[in-house]
Amino acid sequence: MNKLTLILMLPFLGFLINGLIGSRLPKAAVSVIACGMPALCFALTWSLFSGIYVSQVPVVEELFTWVAYPGFKVEAALYFDQISAMMCLVVTGVGTLIHIYSVGYMSHDKSFARYFAYLNLFLFFMLLLVLGKNLVMLFAGWEGVGIASYLLIGFWFQDSEKTSAGLKAFIVNRVGDTGFILAAFVIFFFAKTLDFQEINTFFANGQTSVAMMNLIGILLLIGACGKSAQIPLHVWLPDAMAGPTPVSALIHAATMVTAGVYLLSRLNGVFLHAPGAMTVVAYGGALTALLGATMGLTQYNLKKVLAYSTMSQIGLMFLACGVGAFNAALFHLFTHAFFKACLFLGAGAIIHALHGEEDMRNMGALGKKLPITLVTFLIASLALSGVPPFAGFFSKDEILWSAYSGVNGSLGLWLVASISSFLTAFYMFRAIIMTFFGESRVPARLEKGIHEGPASMSGVLILLAFCSATVGFLGLPGPLREMAGVTAPFYDFLAPVIGHVQVVGAGGHQVEGAGHQLETLFMGISIVVAFAGIALAWLFFSLRKQWADQVKGRAGYAYDLVSQGYFFDALYYLVVRFVDWVSESVLARRVEVGLDAGVLTAPNNSVNYASRLFSSLQGGSLQGYVLYVFIGLALVLLWGVLHV
Amino acid sequence: MDKYQFLITLAGVIFSLGLLGVAVRRNLLVVMMCLEIMLNAVVLSFVTSASRSNTVAGASMTFFIYVAASCEIALAMAIVVLLVKRHATLDLDAHQDLKG
Amino acid sequence: METFFILLFGTAAVLFAVLVIMVRQPMRAALALVAHMVSLACIYATLNVHVVAIFQILIYVSAVMVFMVYTIMLLDDRDASFQQRFSRWVYPALIVAVLIPVSLWLLPNDSSALVAPAGGPERFTFAAFAFDFMKTYWFHFELATVLLLIGVLSAWTAVKEGLDG
Repeated sequence: MNKLTLILMLPFLGFLINGLIGSRLPKAAVSVIACGMPALCFALTWSLFSGIYVSQVPVVEELFTWVAYPGFKVEAALYFDQISAMMCLVVTGVGTLIHIYSVGYMSHDKSFARYFAYLNLFLFFMLLLVLGKNLVMLFAGWEGVGIASYLLIGFWFQDSEKTSAGLKAFIVNRVGDTGFILAAFVIFFFAKTLDFQEINTFFANGQTSVAMMNLIGILLLIGACGKSAQIPLHVWLPDAMAGPTPVSALIHAATMVTAGVYLLSRLNGVFLHAPGAMTVVAYGGALTALLGATMGLTQYNLKKVLAYSTMSQIGLMFLACGVGAFNAALFHLFTHAFFKACLFLGAGAIIHALHGEEDMRNMGALGKKLPITLVTFLIASLALSGVPPFAGFFSKDEILWSAYSGVNGSLGLWLVASISSFLTAFYMFRAIIMTFFGESRVPARLEKGIHEGPASMSGVLILLAFCSATVGFLGLPGPLREMAGVTAPFYDFLAPVIGHVQVVGAGGHQVEGAGHQLETLFMGISIVVAFAGIALAWLFFSLRKQWADQVKGRAGYAYDLVSQGYFFDALYYLVVRFVDWVSESVLARRVEVGLDAGVLTAPNNSVNYASRLFSSLQGGSLQGYVLYVFIGLALVLLWGVLHV
Repeated sequence: MDKYQFLITLAGVIFSLGLLGVAVRRNLLVVMMCLEIMLNAVVLSFVTSASRSNTVAGASMTFFIYVAASCEIALAMAIVVLLVKRHATLDLDAHQDLKG
Repeated sequence: METFFILLFGTAAVLFAVLVIMVRQPMRAALALVAHMVSLACIYATLNVHVVAIFQILIYVSAVMVFMVYTIMLLDDRDASFQQRFSRWVYPALIVAVLIPVSLWLLPNDSSALVAPAGGPERFTFAAFAFDFMKTYWFHFELATVLLLIGVLSAWTAVKEGLDG
């Protein structure tokens, strides 16, 4: 069997085994199966990756013909090119680590096997998503990860709050999927195909009108927003933190929420001819980055801080896509997977040590008792804040530079992105200070049992922190490359599929070559911004704590607005209430009554009337019956006379 | 017109008179008699045809009509007696068993 | 002469049939019916089909009508049908009764194909008729006797059932 198919089917096999008989197997067996499958997938992906690194020839694997109809053909086919290679490595690599971590984290849970079954199922669908060769395969994976996300968010289903969080995630996703499907319809209408390569080549010749291209772009954006928790479909992500922490790490940080970015990159051929859609993507991404960062400032739940941080970072990735820097977006996706997973797993270690406590107001001074967690969390936060030489600096900086220099780019976008970075550093270190430093606010009953997790947890944390520190060097920005005299392997690898490309018909500051001074200046500014955020956080939450409370008091309405999530939830609730009202008062009371009368009762009455009319013929009078016979006979004779 | 045409028309008129009687009279026994009138009209038409074409077939047919009439009257009278016993009247309007 | 007889007896037949419908008492209707059947027999005699004329009297008048008179004697009762002779179907029945002869009159009259075979009025004498009848229609005759038997038996059963139930 071909390696690609194996990569896809191994997690599914793990799901079947753990799902069907896992509850009867010992925990060790379940763990080995569950962690072994992603590890094997990673090994296979690595071997395929080395192959494609050298040959640069994509691997295609056709499984079977799904639909064969005159004019509409869909193959179930897998495609492994540079983008898929990168995504697969991230998914399987980080996935394996998170599986191993989960063995320690969920060791006391009674649904151990079910958890790993669902996790493997998620992996299967995510791989289907990134390996699919056409929009149908991608969509199958898209929907599948939605299901896996729902199952895992509501994993502890006895709690109705958690199940409703899962439902919310799925339903908001569905709203986005409508956009996706409509986009698929429009694409098919023009290109007569759903295969990615064919779509990109079809739209490359520029025959379709710009308005149509913009329409497709916007519809695809809606789909991506639903899956990647961008405004306005972001409302599910904070609630999704109800699931187990490794789930949040895997699905809602590293892999599933990045599927939107993957979609945009895959169909870059469409977007490059839709300048209007690109602008919307860029500004939407910038808005999400800013709003997500502001909402992270006011949260007290540690995981929700990280959730808003994820939303904000993906906003930055969308911003990069919107200005044509797809490779920068993908590099940030790559680095973000590592440090965000490390952050979530670190939070998981804290929650595990505190036996379920998630509120930062009940933490403090944990640094002495959880040293490994502190160090790894710190490294990952520095990476997230964009401090060199950690990974986040290089990827974020590339995005900031593209926000200025790319097509649709402007100083305004750069400014918004920089402000979000500042806020990111600020709230991340606020979280660190509240959790690890200061005096302990931990409730007395939990004080005694605080200790580091088992080796499976700590080992993964160390590994991920190491990656967060080092992978940045795979994609150095332009000026640094020149200074150090090295190339950027990451960008070179992706170059045959995506480069820094021109968007047709859009403006922007196209600064090539001699703009290195400006770029270096921007780099310097972002370092300053990051350190300023860290310093301010230290000031507000460590040195002068009363300033934090004063600002909060003075902010008043602004604080309420931000901490309530800009009232998006309230708005959606109003919409739902309105639809409910229409259904109840208008449809049920007025329309349905009229319909019942016209469609149900009226024919009923007329049939009854007719049948009574006919039954009156059978009056019981014998002489009447005789007459009927003879009238009929007379008519027959008449007909015979006339037609003979 | 010649006699045959007249006789056929006569048969038709007698037949319709019999039909009229069946439909119109309320007394059960009179209705039976009007049935006999109808049968007679049929016999008349057969005889006219036999006479006209000078074959025996028409005349033979009348015999079978007589047989049918005899059987019919025997059975019919028995049924009439039973019906009248059941409904205690000869009035056809009271015999509503076939209603609905 | 023949025409006169046919006209006479034809009118008589119609007259007596109308009387059957119109008179109030069943006994008088029965008598009118007897007269109607006798006039029909006279028509048959005029046409020289004496066999059928004889049998008309024998079977209809003496057997059928006597049977009917017995039943009238058994059942006649001055009930509602005595006061109100006619049912509510008078007008529809009148229309139908007019339409049937009119449509028969309008039927196309094609008599050219008929060829009278040899043999004149002697054809319908008893001897000739009996000979023809037995030669060609003996089977139908047997069938008719069986039918008669069945009729008698059915009448017997019906009365017996009716008496028991």
